[in-house]
Amino acid sequence: MPEFIDDFLFTYQTLVYSLGINGLLALSMYVVLALGQLSLGQAAFMGMGAYVSALLTVKIGAPFLLVLLAAMLVPALAALIVGAPTLRLSGVYLALATIGLGEVQRIFFLNSELTGGALGLSGIPMKGGLVSIYGSLGLALVAFIFVARSKIGRAMEAMREDELAAGALGVDLPAYKLAALVVSAMLAGLAGALNAHVTSFISPEDYGFHAAVSILSYALLGGIGSPFAPVLGAFILTLLPEVLRSLADFRGVVNGAIIVLVVIFMPRGLMTWRMGRIGASTRRPS
Amino acid sequence: MLAQQLVNGLVVGSIYALFALGFTLMFGVLGVINLTYGFYLSIGAFLALFATQHGVSIWLALPFAALACGAIAVVVDGLLLTPLRRAKAPELASLMVTLGATLLLYSLANAALSTDIRRFPPSVIDGSAIDLLGVRVTLTQCLIVGSAGALVAALLWLMNGSRLGMGLRALAERPDTAALMGVNAGALVRLVSMISGGLAGACGVLIGLNYNAIQPYMGEVMMLKGFAVIILGGLGDIRGALVAGLIIGLLETLTAGYVASSVKDAVGFALLVLTLWIRPSGLFGRIAVKRA
Amino acid sequence: MITRRLALAAASFAAMIYAGAAAAQTPVTIGAIEILTGPNNKYGIAIKNGFDLALDEVNKAGGVLGAPLAIAYEDSAGNKDQALNAARQLIGGKKVPLILGPTLSNEMFAVGPIAVERKIPIVGTSTTANGITAIGPYVFRTSLPEADVVPVTLRTAKEKLGVKKVAVMYGNDDAFTKSGYDVMKAALEKLGIETLTTETFGGKDTDFSAQLTKIKSLNPDAIVVSALVEAGAGILLAKKALGIPDSVRVIGGNGLNSPQVPTVAREAADGTLVGSPWFIDKPDAANQKFVAAYKAKYNMDPDQFAAQAYDTLFIVAQAIKDAGAANPEKIRDALGKVKHNGVMGPFSFTPDRDPADTSGVVVIEMKGGKFQIFK
Repeated sequence: MPEFIDDFLFTYQTLVYSLGINGLLALSMYVVLALGQLSLGQAAFMGMGAYVSALLTVKIGAPFLLVLLAAMLVPALAALIVGAPTLRLSGVYLALATIGLGEVQRIFFLNSELTGGALGLSGIPMKGGLVSIYGSLGLALVAFIFVARSKIGRAMEAMREDELAAGALGVDLPAYKLAALVVSAMLAGLAGALNAHVTSFISPEDYGFHAAVSILSYALLGGIGSPFAPVLGAFILTLLPEVLRSLADFRGVVNGAIIVLVVIFMPRGLMTWRMGRIGASTRRPS
Repeated sequence: MLAQQLVNGLVVGSIYALFALGFTLMFGVLGVINLTYGFYLSIGAFLALFATQHGVSIWLALPFAALACGAIAVVVDGLLLTPLRRAKAPELASLMVTLGATLLLYSLANAALSTDIRRFPPSVIDGSAIDLLGVRVTLTQCLIVGSAGALVAALLWLMNGSRLGMGLRALAERPDTAALMGVNAGALVRLVSMISGGLAGACGVLIGLNYNAIQPYMGEVMMLKGFAVIILGGLGDIRGALVAGLIIGLLETLTAGYVASSVKDAVGFALLVLTLWIRPSGLFGRIAVKRA
Repeated sequence: MITRRLALAAASFAAMIYAGAAAAQTPVTIGAIEILTGPNNKYGIAIKNGFDLALDEVNKAGGVLGAPLAIAYEDSAGNKDQALNAARQLIGGKKVPLILGPTLSNEMFAVGPIAVERKIPIVGTSTTANGITAIGPYVFRTSLPEADVVPVTLRTAKEKLGVKKVAVMYGNDDAFTKSGYDVMKAALEKLGIETLTTETFGGKDTDFSAQLTKIKSLNPDAIVVSALVEAGAGILLAKKALGIPDSVRVIGGNGLNSPQVPTVAREAADGTLVGSPWFIDKPDAANQKFVAAYKAKYNMDPDQFAAQAYDTLFIVAQAIKDAGAANPEKIRDALGKVKHNGVMGPFSFTPDRDPADTSGVVVIEMKGGKFQIFK
């Protein structure tokens, strides 16, 4: 029944794309959280990627791969500027500084002629798809698994568990933190670019504080024990509003209640097993 | 025009300060960014609205709303944050739990109260403006500026001039040691929640009186500004909340009046980022910034 | 438990037989995407009320194509992604031949291309931004765009009040109020009215004292405002508190055309001028009947969103009847030809699928908490 399959794909296309894109966003959050840091600027990085890529595609017609690259580099630069002063401080400061970044960016988008103000940018061609979205997600997951099993991964875990001790053992804390934030910004930018190229319309309100909070909740719900965990969290929280659609007014209540209950009863997230241990147990002598 | 703009800025700044007071107190003593804080503001406004609609005087409705919000804050903290404190969960877990609770509470309020914008009955308070040498002020505006000053003074005395304050500061510095030294940590946590929630509730009533725009989401809007104020003032610092609130309020107003209203909202956040680059501990932060 | 399951099975069996015997009775279901939850749900709910009221009447009069008409509602919660999912659900899952909504222009910019891709007509009842119908040949709207209403209001103010210089305020973080401003700017230039200053605000702002203090010092003849109810009421209150004289009127876009404005701004709202495709005290019989029926069913006054939705459902029902089948392509062709005389006045579509007739536009002014025709 090809028509049935076609209809099914059509009906759930936005959802399937959102799952992959939110998975990428959750991973971008994971990189920062894995070092015991907190960024609330993931939505801002995502918006940066979305706008940069949409403008390059619509105004210049640049090739898609180049567009994606630019959508990763610009947020990376912003991450350097915001991260450098704050990463020496406690996690709260990075969180609040990144909120500031998001607001300043929103005001820029609203007032710039180039970005179309509140009307946003519409008519972005559908260049993204299953391959680019799930390809990116797969590549990012594989890369993170390799990192988690390597020396870097052990250093990251050490930092998260006891930053002072890790520093004393020679882990270059600021360099690790900044690198993590930059990688995170790149992933969020990529997710933003892919999203812009599958929804055809973007506007400043898509990348506000609420979006930042959702991205954080993906990662925290899943937990940060392994790179798979935040992706699982993203999948659950993306599907939840769809499954709970019939609950109408009470959807927010249920969604919020689930977050609260999971955190109180499973404060370390849903998936608590650690990548490093899996790596160790499966390593074969050679 | 300048005189009027300065008054406008003073009022806006006092509102920011009032809002940030409880927020910064919660962080300063309990060490938590409690995102449900804005919700108490909304609820305070609604409780006072319902009370006045039933003929209660605003002077009774205001303390009633503040007390009720304080009580709600105590319950929320006891249900959500105390278990995490006991389990010594990571710092981020408490932020996350308040995030979920915020979503839950706003959704409930939205379903129960609808998102229509409402106002206090006009008979509640004389809303007309008085002309003072070409500057127009209302009674509510005087009330807002006055209570911001008075509450800061009261809180400073509580924290620095009273025995209770010593316990609170001890709790903020080293919760475990404080408990060993005979500080009743549980009671103090409840007290701080009570005061903070009460401040938010009272602030909500005053904002409702001043702007006549009562909505379930009104507290959420204030939260982002609240972040900017407490960072600029120094996390957990009470004087800082007042000074930073006034600075941001005045600068926003002057920017809108003399530069461009479109960049008004960027002022607070630009100051926030600047603070982090130049003096991360904020205007009044004395202690070297705490590490995570 | 067992008995209940049995009863259920029996009931569904009966339903199957019934459906088989009376296939013609299977309702013709069209889709609707509106904001039914979240902070902007008052618009979606007013629209849903309007649809449901008209739906009752359509079905009482025999429905369409020999079957009752039904509406499958999906909630967008004002969220673009959710609106997209809803549209895909309606098109791919429920296979509706036509979609009503979505509520906001922003949502239409996201959802419209999907409907066009699948060749399903989509009819916005509240999407007034520029460029909505340019999305594609299946996108219709029944709401008069601001570009048709605002020039009428401003021209009337110029002619009757002698307005020569104005200050402009608009919400710059919302597509609706921003696009309303674009229209105002163009109309002011065309009418040769001088703009002394242009001030912006955020849709969730409550403090407008800085902008209005500046405007007061410039002595405009009127203040032209593109805002939704919340900010609009706040501006009116602040204007009064700052002592800007009542003779300096606020001239609003469609956002201020709401019965909520005076409930919040009270006497500060008096004198506000807006142009409207509809208003509650329009004396014609069709409108009076609508208002009375709406009040009876929902126990509150209808607003223009409800009125537009009410008319739209009749227009759509007519198109389905004319099409002779629940076929998207045929309904689209029929829609273009529908002529309807509803509560908003005579209605038909332009070849570009916008409302053709602007004769229904009235300029109304607020007096004592009620809108009335401005004379």
